[in-house]
Amino acid sequence: MTALTLDVRDVTKRFGDGETGVLAVRSVSLAVEPGEIVLIMGPSGSGKTTLLSMMGALLRPTEGSIHLDGTALSELSEGRLPDIRLRQFGFIFQDFNLLSALTVLENVAIVAELAGLRPRAAREKATAILTDLGLAARLDFLPEKLSGGEKQRVAIARALINDPTLILADEPTANLDSKIGHEIMRLLRRIAKDQGRSVVIVSHDQRIRDIADRVLWLEDGSFKDIVTMATDPVCGMAVERERAVSAERDGETFFFCSRGCRAEFLGVSVDGVGN
Amino acid sequence: MSASVLLARRNLTRNRVRLVASVGGVALALSLTLALDAIYAGVANQLTTYIDRAGADVWVAQAGVRNLHMVASTLPEAVVDEISAVEGVAAITPILEATDTVAVGDERAVVYVIGLPTDTAIGGPWEVAEGSNWVGPGEIIVDRSFARKAGVTIGDSVDVLGGQARIVGLSRGTASLVNSVAFVSFDDFRAMRGGAPVISFALVRIAGSASAGEVAADIERLVPGVTAQSRAEFVDQERRIVTDMSADVISIMSVVGFIVALAVVALTVYVATLARRRDYGILKALGARNRVLYRVVLVQAAISVAVGFAIGLAFTALLSFAIGRTDLNLELAITVSSLAKVGLFAAVIAGLAAILPIRQVAGVDPAVVFRRGAPA
Repeated sequence: MTALTLDVRDVTKRFGDGETGVLAVRSVSLAVEPGEIVLIMGPSGSGKTTLLSMMGALLRPTEGSIHLDGTALSELSEGRLPDIRLRQFGFIFQDFNLLSALTVLENVAIVAELAGLRPRAAREKATAILTDLGLAARLDFLPEKLSGGEKQRVAIARALINDPTLILADEPTANLDSKIGHEIMRLLRRIAKDQGRSVVIVSHDQRIRDIADRVLWLEDGSFKDIVTMATDPVCGMAVERERAVSAERDGETFFFCSRGCRAEFLGVSVDGVGN
Repeated sequence: MSASVLLARRNLTRNRVRLVASVGGVALALSLTLALDAIYAGVANQLTTYIDRAGADVWVAQAGVRNLHMVASTLPEAVVDEISAVEGVAAITPILEATDTVAVGDERAVVYVIGLPTDTAIGGPWEVAEGSNWVGPGEIIVDRSFARKAGVTIGDSVDVLGGQARIVGLSRGTASLVNSVAFVSFDDFRAMRGGAPVISFALVRIAGSASAGEVAADIERLVPGVTAQSRAEFVDQERRIVTDMSADVISIMSVVGFIVALAVVALTVYVATLARRRDYGILKALGARNRVLYRVVLVQAAISVAVGFAIGLAFTALLSFAIGRTDLNLELAITVSSLAKVGLFAAVIAGLAAILPIRQVAGVDPAVVFRRGAPA
């Protein structure tokens, strides 16, 4: 596998012009090393998906450049981008985005065929990957017959079939229950560490922090220092330490998204009176 | 199987209702065109059956008369001797011919009445289902289907050429959708028409080594006032008359069939493409090129049309077989030219039907993958 560095340099994305224009991403820079798992978090509307789309060569930045393994994606012609997406990227989506008319095996094999593999070889390769992901008994199933976790594993198999250098995952655990979500996280970690593939994950899910090598906080289109973030121990929401309400207990400081959460944590009413 | 064909096939077969609507619509529309062509070819076959089966190699008629349908030919009887003198002529049978009706009570049928010499070897019925295969004075051979319809049989009398004749034979294969052939004696025919020493056509058998075309040309050159044609030319002229008479109807119905098939395929492929719009977006995001996706749409249309064409052909063949088992004097002939024409129609339909869906696919944004929809 080719060593990879995804290098996002001072990227800006603006939708529309003039007063109605929206600046979705502002001067964002990011470098991803081979085998590294980068988690990008942030509130809804912060520009996470726009950034992911640009990193996946699905959207061109208004300014700045994106380099994949030394190639400037933002400078490539439209005609060359499908090939890059097919061979260099693996995509994993919140909604799985499997093709409903195809079986599990066909969903994975077709991507290898699109990359030029002969149908028989594509099916063999897809079978091997799906078997490795524990889906040997589901090869001929249609996606509608699978559980959420199985669908996401099929999507991961599809993302891996062309040996991509970078995997881009959009909320990969959002439609999964806690146990399955953990399984998927461990799987992504295994892929990154055993196979040396870089993984960029966009998510609200705090649990993914456990497997990430680096966590970035995107807000209002730009990265904010993650060290200023803390997790509300009551609702689990990521909060900025400087802006959050806080409380001390047993010598440790806790940060909360609201006075309600703090009150619940301390076992007092919102106005400070004990329950 | 390529990715395009696999996707096209799956897209079609996963929705059975849509598949049945698409293929059924095409089959119905193409059946319409195929059946009309087959009816036309069948009628043309039937109308030229007598010329084909009478046994003559060369047909000699009054100058300018080049077919049998809706024309009258009158030649002086003496022309027979002149034709006999032409090299390559082996035998001649003069016949009288007129379009008339055969009637029994209220039952009437249009017929080509053929007046046959009693000693002729050609020009008579080629297949007799019942009774005699030659006619004497006061006798007639009619087609079996007319006899059934009119409720008459051998021994019964019918009105023909202003007189009466007794049925002595029932022929088979001498009826068409519009008329049939009835045979009376040459002398009766002449007597009923005033006894003038004329004939309508001279049916010529040629010697073994001669060419029908060359003998016909020699007859025209050596015998004044006649038009001589080989059997093939005469059949061709007769068919041309039928074509000229029915071409507009056939063309209009073919265009109707074409438009219906086009509308059905275009609509179903368009709807199928719309329903899979997100799938096309996913494929684009994963790296599928537009041309691969266009091929999926085209293959979908082509499969719909090909299966529809096959079903339409099978249906028309079945219809042809079923009609052949009935008493209807109708023949459906599926010709190679008709198959080629409808096949070409089908290919054009598939191509045109794919245009609009392809435009849809071209407009799909691959970033659709990041929009929340129903999970697959």
